[in-house]
Amino acid sequence: MVNPESEAKREVAMGDSASAMRHLVAYARPYLKEFLIVVALVIVYILTQVVQPWLIKIVIDKDLIVSHPLLGPIITIGGLYLIITIVGLFANFMQNRRLQWIGQRIVRQIRVDLFRHIESLSMRFFDTHETGRLITNVSSDTNNVSMFFTNFLLSVIQDGLSILLVMGAMLLLDWKLAALSFLVIPVIVIISVLFRKKLRESYRFTRTHFSRLIGYTAENLGGMRITQIFHQESKQFDRHTELNQRYTKGNITEYRWSVLFNRTFDALGNLSVALMVWIGGLAVVHHTIEIGVLYAFTSYIRQFFGPINSLTQQWNTLQSSMISAERIGGVLLTENEIKEPEKPVVLRQRHEDGQLELAGEVRFNHVSFGYSPQKTVLNDIDFTVLPRSFVGFVGETGAGKSTLMGLLTRFYDVNQGSITIDGIDIRSFSQRDLHRAIAIVQQEVNLFSGTVADNLRLFRREISDRAVQEAAEIAGADEFIRAMPGGYQAWLTAKGANLSLGQRQLLAFARALSLNPKILILDEATASLDSHTETILQQGLTRIAEGRTTLVIAHRLSTIRQADRIYVMDHGQIVEQGNHQQLMEQNGHYAELVQKSAPDTVEASD
Amino acid sequence: MSPKEIMRSFALSRKWYYLIAILAIGVAEFFQVQIPDILGKFINRLKAGHATEHVVLFFALDVAMVAAAYVVAFGFGQLQIGRLGRTLEFELRQTLFAHWETLSSRYFQMHSVGDLLNHTLNDVTVVRQAMSQGMNQVTQALFLFAATLYMTIRTINLGLTLVSLIPILLIPLVIVVVGPQVRMRSRRVQEALSNMSELAEESFQAMQLIKATSNEPVELERFRILVEDIVDRQMHLVQLNTVFQAVLPLLSGISFVVGLVYGGDLVIHHHISLGSFVAFTAYLSMLVQPLLQFGFVINMFQNASASLMRIQVLLAVEPDITDPEHPVEKNWSGEISIRDLSFEYPGSTPKVLDHVSITIPKGSTLGIVGRTGSGKTTLLNLILRDYDPPANTVFFDGTDIRDMRLSDLRELIAYVPQDGFLFSTTIGQNIAFSQPTVEPEAVERAASQSRILETIQSMPEGIDTEIGERGIMLSGGQRQRAAIARALIKSQAKVLILDDSLSAVDTRTETEILKVLRQVRGEKTTIIVAHRLSALRDADWIIVLDKGAIVESGLHQDLLRKNGIYANLYRIQAGGEPSHG
Repeated sequence: MVNPESEAKREVAMGDSASAMRHLVAYARPYLKEFLIVVALVIVYILTQVVQPWLIKIVIDKDLIVSHPLLGPIITIGGLYLIITIVGLFANFMQNRRLQWIGQRIVRQIRVDLFRHIESLSMRFFDTHETGRLITNVSSDTNNVSMFFTNFLLSVIQDGLSILLVMGAMLLLDWKLAALSFLVIPVIVIISVLFRKKLRESYRFTRTHFSRLIGYTAENLGGMRITQIFHQESKQFDRHTELNQRYTKGNITEYRWSVLFNRTFDALGNLSVALMVWIGGLAVVHHTIEIGVLYAFTSYIRQFFGPINSLTQQWNTLQSSMISAERIGGVLLTENEIKEPEKPVVLRQRHEDGQLELAGEVRFNHVSFGYSPQKTVLNDIDFTVLPRSFVGFVGETGAGKSTLMGLLTRFYDVNQGSITIDGIDIRSFSQRDLHRAIAIVQQEVNLFSGTVADNLRLFRREISDRAVQEAAEIAGADEFIRAMPGGYQAWLTAKGANLSLGQRQLLAFARALSLNPKILILDEATASLDSHTETILQQGLTRIAEGRTTLVIAHRLSTIRQADRIYVMDHGQIVEQGNHQQLMEQNGHYAELVQKSAPDTVEASD
Repeated sequence: MSPKEIMRSFALSRKWYYLIAILAIGVAEFFQVQIPDILGKFINRLKAGHATEHVVLFFALDVAMVAAAYVVAFGFGQLQIGRLGRTLEFELRQTLFAHWETLSSRYFQMHSVGDLLNHTLNDVTVVRQAMSQGMNQVTQALFLFAATLYMTIRTINLGLTLVSLIPILLIPLVIVVVGPQVRMRSRRVQEALSNMSELAEESFQAMQLIKATSNEPVELERFRILVEDIVDRQMHLVQLNTVFQAVLPLLSGISFVVGLVYGGDLVIHHHISLGSFVAFTAYLSMLVQPLLQFGFVINMFQNASASLMRIQVLLAVEPDITDPEHPVEKNWSGEISIRDLSFEYPGSTPKVLDHVSITIPKGSTLGIVGRTGSGKTTLLNLILRDYDPPANTVFFDGTDIRDMRLSDLRELIAYVPQDGFLFSTTIGQNIAFSQPTVEPEAVERAASQSRILETIQSMPEGIDTEIGERGIMLSGGQRQRAAIARALIKSQAKVLILDDSLSAVDTRTETEILKVLRQVRGEKTTIIVAHRLSALRDADWIIVLDKGAIVESGLHQDLLRKNGIYANLYRIQAGGEPSHG
């Protein structure tokens, strides 16, 4: 939704966006030569436009007004006129294509660079930036920036040049009359400036209220069921009426201003012609100019208005390009907090299965962390997970379990302490190696538009169909995949509407396995499943965990009952550890958790 | 009402406005075509050499006055038609929204929000454009074309007019032929753009996964392919567009040359005056405008009629859940009974509910357990008449709910959905959704009962804090608790339904909320669906659904003794071993 206030603020900060724009102008530099060709073609086109009235003037003064006119010269000039027209149109045609081509290439480069940069940023960036905004950055902001090159620059060159050339032609014809005509220019400029503010305001008002109306409609379509069940149709409709009325009112106001502006321009144009009739007519009467010159002048004065009008309209393009440039620049200038090591540790790959040569020992050395400096989420966490062991983490929501895993995968970097794998700080690995070693399965399963197989191998060509299928078999997903129309080639969408929660979860397991990690993290991966599906998954879990270090965060304690070791977390600290038996005997936090999640802990049911 | 009827009745009810507007544009065009004629006469007077300063001033004033008349009349007509078109747009949007409100969940399940939004975003706008801009242009073009023709033929020369007209008459033809091509290609560009946006969305939303797997290069490659596709399709469009933009001026250029040579010839042989010749060149450029517009307007109207068809289809959908003709009126108390209910969703064969029978006495609590897809939510949806149950299967106080007024049924039920859907208003407005006029204290009470009050008080603007689209500012558990408050505030309801509404709430809060529910439900009949058995502590009766049928039922202890699905679930959740067997 467009927020008019923040847009207004942006306008004040135009100075900043100018530097952002400079940053983006760098994208145009490789096309400098192409731009020069475009300018040359534009000049040819405009020259042909300016010459046209001149030709008619010649016909009138040299061929028609004379006492014995002849057809021959007229035909010659007619032919010339046609040739000039064709040349002009051809130049314009070439210019247009070339410019669009340049524009497209510039947007393409900005898009790719922007996408690459966004994807390289740390999770902290995504925590503070809405996905919707980022998508707009990539799709429409890039387009707006390219409009700067294809529309704004073109207009400045084309309209500017044509004003200049028309002025030149007028001066050549009769400098006194020309100078008088130029008086109309400041009037045009003043009127444009006066209207511009009103036009922009009303345009913004309409856009804002339109997006409110559409947003409201979208939301109500999504929540229609709730509206109906709570029987609030008439209240919601009244609100819609209110929003619709406001938008319509704004829309009519905007239209009124634009009609007023266009007609004023129209009136001004005609008024100038009338003035030309008067002044030019007097000049003809006093024999200072010929009739043809008068004709040419009335034509030229009309040619004046077109470019000036379109130039004033380009202000909007410039402004939206600037705002977009600033947005894109802001993203591009964001530095990545997660730094790649300068000399990453080199890890060798095992031949037989492509796994990295690691034992898989995970160690947290007195780790402290907070998403913001004021609020620590983890406090002095210190533990070691032995290679190929299976450990569980439990605790209330907000205890810091998922944060722990986010640190191990380097979604975030620790504030204090360090995390090591096989004794090597994870910040010394290249991220590629680290993420080859670790796989994480989360509660929310993301799917991509593509086939089942592509979703499992994440579109990586180096993972074979056989490896994908094997992983699916181990995860227990093979059966339902085969039952789908198309099997492994069945098409999935991002929302995965055609899959149940359980099936999506099985896919996520299979996906993690097809990457064949040394360390596997399950982050509440079974929370949204019903107990039955979870039981099925758990049976597969033993096979999945085989030969790997497995870290499991579980909502349901049953999942980790068999763990080699269980860490109980509370308020960012590890408060208890041990296996199930030991922890039950301690009769502390863990025992209480077990108690509370039991179905029949009814305190004195009355 | 179908959109065609809407448009007809709209036009009829405002026929005088339309008439005046069209008349104004007609008058405006009459004035506009006078200007070249005046200029032509002026040139003749100058050429004849007996023009005085007085005459010159007279002509100049003539031009100015005629031009002023034209501008005023045209602006007036244009404004009227534009305003009318926008009012029509308003009414179409109102009709669409009101219509959507009558349609049931089945409809919204079959249509995506984005798809429906396209109707209000694009189709309505396209219709308005045709009715406003299109109507303006077509009126202007018709009058201008007629007036210009009349002036050239009457004051200049029939033959000259006809001959020079030939090339520019091709203009609308070219537009009508090439226009749809341009539209098709630009649609393909739009498709490519939305493909790219979709990929970006997909990718940014899966960022943790992508980072965790270092999959960025693969994503970039997928993205690059789509960006490349946009460039290709865009250039494809540009190719056609540039040809288009060159051919049209070329045609008018040819006309001009024909007029120049033939007109020159006529001047030489004294068939027409020099002034007529000059006027004619002005008329020629005037003629190009309406012809260009004819072409574009035809395309615009074609688009609009396609849009209108789509709106037509949309409005033709009949609401499938409606009030009975003679609704039963009585003092409802809240007993629900279900008799031999079998149900399948339209278009899918497997039975979702299979001969379900159960009576929930007034004031009692029923717990429903079952795996995903066992039919729990469907059962609730049928009680709510979110979907229509078969006749004589679902009863409220002994009355088939299909014989109740829909609004009565829904006033009687307080419902907490699974996903905790909230609107982007303030948290207070969300809680008081069904009672907009309620006192703030009542909102606070409901909030405190559902354990969300503390969260609300910690928000920057307390109860008046906007919670963003679908309540994005809140966590899943907070959303569920707000949704519970929204149901609890509906104190007049006789039935309370919770559809797995505590799943995202931690066990401590769950215990607290259950305790409150126990206190407030009083005489209310309560139905709780849950995955976690702990949420069913207070149930007077529990049923276990499996593949749409009730497979077990009884009290907690009875069910444990049966050693079936329930007992197995219990063991898993109590932290024990599932029994295999």
